[in-house]
Amino acid sequence: METLKLRKITSVWIIIVLTLFVVAIVLGILMRLNQGEIIQQSPITFYGNMTTHGLTMIGIWFVAGMAAVNYLLERYVKTSYAANLFALVLTVIGVLMLWCSTFIGEFHAGWTFLYPLPFKIMWAEWATPLFLSSLGVLGLGWLVWSISLMAQILKKYSISQAFAWQHFHKNPKVETPPFILITMITLIGVIACLIAAVILLILFFIEYFSTGSFVNDALLMKNLTYFFGHTIANEMLYLGLAVIYELFAEVSGRPKWHTTWYVALAWNLSLIFILTAFFHHLYMDFVQPEGLQIIGQIASYLASLPAAGVTVFSILVAVYRNKINWSLTNLLFFIGVAGWVIGGLGAVIDATISNNFILHNTLWVPAHFHTYNAMGNVLFSLAFFHWFSNQYYHHKERQNTLKLSILLIGGAGFLLAFYIGGAESIPRRYSTYPSDLPMGATLASIAALFASLYLIAILIFFFNISKKCLKILSSSPQSS
Amino acid sequence: MQQSILMLFLGLLAISTIVFTYVYQSSQKATDLDRGMANPLKSRFWFLLILFVILGIFASVTIPKSPYYFYADETPSRVVHVAAKQFAFVLSNNAIDPKNPVGENAIELLENELVEFRVTSFDVNHGFAIYNKAGQLIAQTQAMPGYVNKLRWKFSEPGAYSILCLEYCGMAHQIMRSSFTVK
Repeated sequence: METLKLRKITSVWIIIVLTLFVVAIVLGILMRLNQGEIIQQSPITFYGNMTTHGLTMIGIWFVAGMAAVNYLLERYVKTSYAANLFALVLTVIGVLMLWCSTFIGEFHAGWTFLYPLPFKIMWAEWATPLFLSSLGVLGLGWLVWSISLMAQILKKYSISQAFAWQHFHKNPKVETPPFILITMITLIGVIACLIAAVILLILFFIEYFSTGSFVNDALLMKNLTYFFGHTIANEMLYLGLAVIYELFAEVSGRPKWHTTWYVALAWNLSLIFILTAFFHHLYMDFVQPEGLQIIGQIASYLASLPAAGVTVFSILVAVYRNKINWSLTNLLFFIGVAGWVIGGLGAVIDATISNNFILHNTLWVPAHFHTYNAMGNVLFSLAFFHWFSNQYYHHKERQNTLKLSILLIGGAGFLLAFYIGGAESIPRRYSTYPSDLPMGATLASIAALFASLYLIAILIFFFNISKKCLKILSSSPQSS
Repeated sequence: MQQSILMLFLGLLAISTIVFTYVYQSSQKATDLDRGMANPLKSRFWFLLILFVILGIFASVTIPKSPYYFYADETPSRVVHVAAKQFAFVLSNNAIDPKNPVGENAIELLENELVEFRVTSFDVNHGFAIYNKAGQLIAQTQAMPGYVNKLRWKFSEPGAYSILCLEYCGMAHQIMRSSFTVK
């Protein structure tokens, strides 16, 4: 069972995530305001903010998913508090180093820091090694945490049980809970992409210290970058799904979900598809072997089958014509799944090579990934935060409809501006738009307005949840 | 084309929203006697099969239309060498010397001739995106150091075309551009 220490550290994670989220949203709104020509930032400031925004968002929603999974995993196995704390400390240090490199050192190579851009110094010279080191610190903390959680699972379940392979036979003697299966599958993906990140950083540092005697291969570095970047962005969503499998039925007053042969099969296949779908980021690199490009499209398509046919369908089956105890927690889960589906549709469209030819690096790209993050994954985590903090300090839920309406209207307007921008061929990652693409600035201004609404809704969640988490932090063992 | 993609997406968005709203409302009306979906396993099977068939059709129709296969069995009548460098493009009818990257002042192409753009970079990754005069992205490839991406294209309309960088390449990325004319 969970300990007071685990409860407190989960509260700290939640407060950190929500605080950094508010900062990162503000940076995003500033970017859209600049693109809308409402404020004027220098390109260096804009691209520095863009780098901070991207990496902070990826980092916080990854750790949010990990903290939630760690907390719930304690229901099944004993987890390591030390590994959790180690990840927390290294995350704080890593974020401070990252922000120092971007805000003070003006490093602005983007969150993908595509090789060899970090070496073309347009910022303080120390900012490049500091930036790369910050990723190393974050990666180390997360890798140790992920390995620790997986090791704890494997102490109780054999490898085949952790993958739920016994469910391919009739009447399995041991049931692998869906939460364990999804966590295991997700952690493998996380560990794989973090190892890729380590290799990537080592290659960067070798070239950095070789002073010209060693030069990396740009195509290999790009493959490594997107294997890491795409996979971690996907896995943080799957961490959220693990939480849904564990909590949705519970908070809805429905029977707990069980692993069946098709759930086991779907999640095992997901692992393969997730690890090979990243090739779609390199479609426009025509020198990449054609076979890998085709694998990218097929894997991206196939990844949607278990997601839609098992997870999404299960949520719909659980709700359809069933009496549900609706609360803010399961409403957020339910709307989040819808957001995930809609973002996934935008992603599948973009993962089609012939579409990508005219959509790649337009605003269509941030459109789809902001959909399944801002209206999917964020909602999964908010649902967990709300449920977690309500367990100890339950307040009557008030004005849920208003909160959700602001969140939905703000999110929808903000995202629609991205999709229309993509269809209008507006490039992504432009600090300002050229005069021959006037729609860019107009859409950016509209997006900033709607994103501000989204921020208001998030601030309401932030204050409500953080208040309760602070109480948990100050609670004594007697009061727990 | 982009507008058709947007319409397809908005259609799918509408369907998804209707399904989720309908399912949510069905739970609100449900009583203790309701037992949910009649045969979820069968429905799931059909849903997956239909999805699989739709995606299979999409893949088989779209993969042959990938840019790697454009005019693959034809010989280009024109080759344009492109070298990207922070924060400009060099376009030339001849191979470009990385030590002295100099290009033509103006590139003119002919309507409906098969052009092969040989695109590389002399520093970081860039994008080579061709926009028509209506501001619509019509073709692109990446400019990567150490590699040459070959993009084959026929321009069906005469006029001025812009080239924009579509891969973030540093602080002046947004002003990195060039142009050519099709007669």
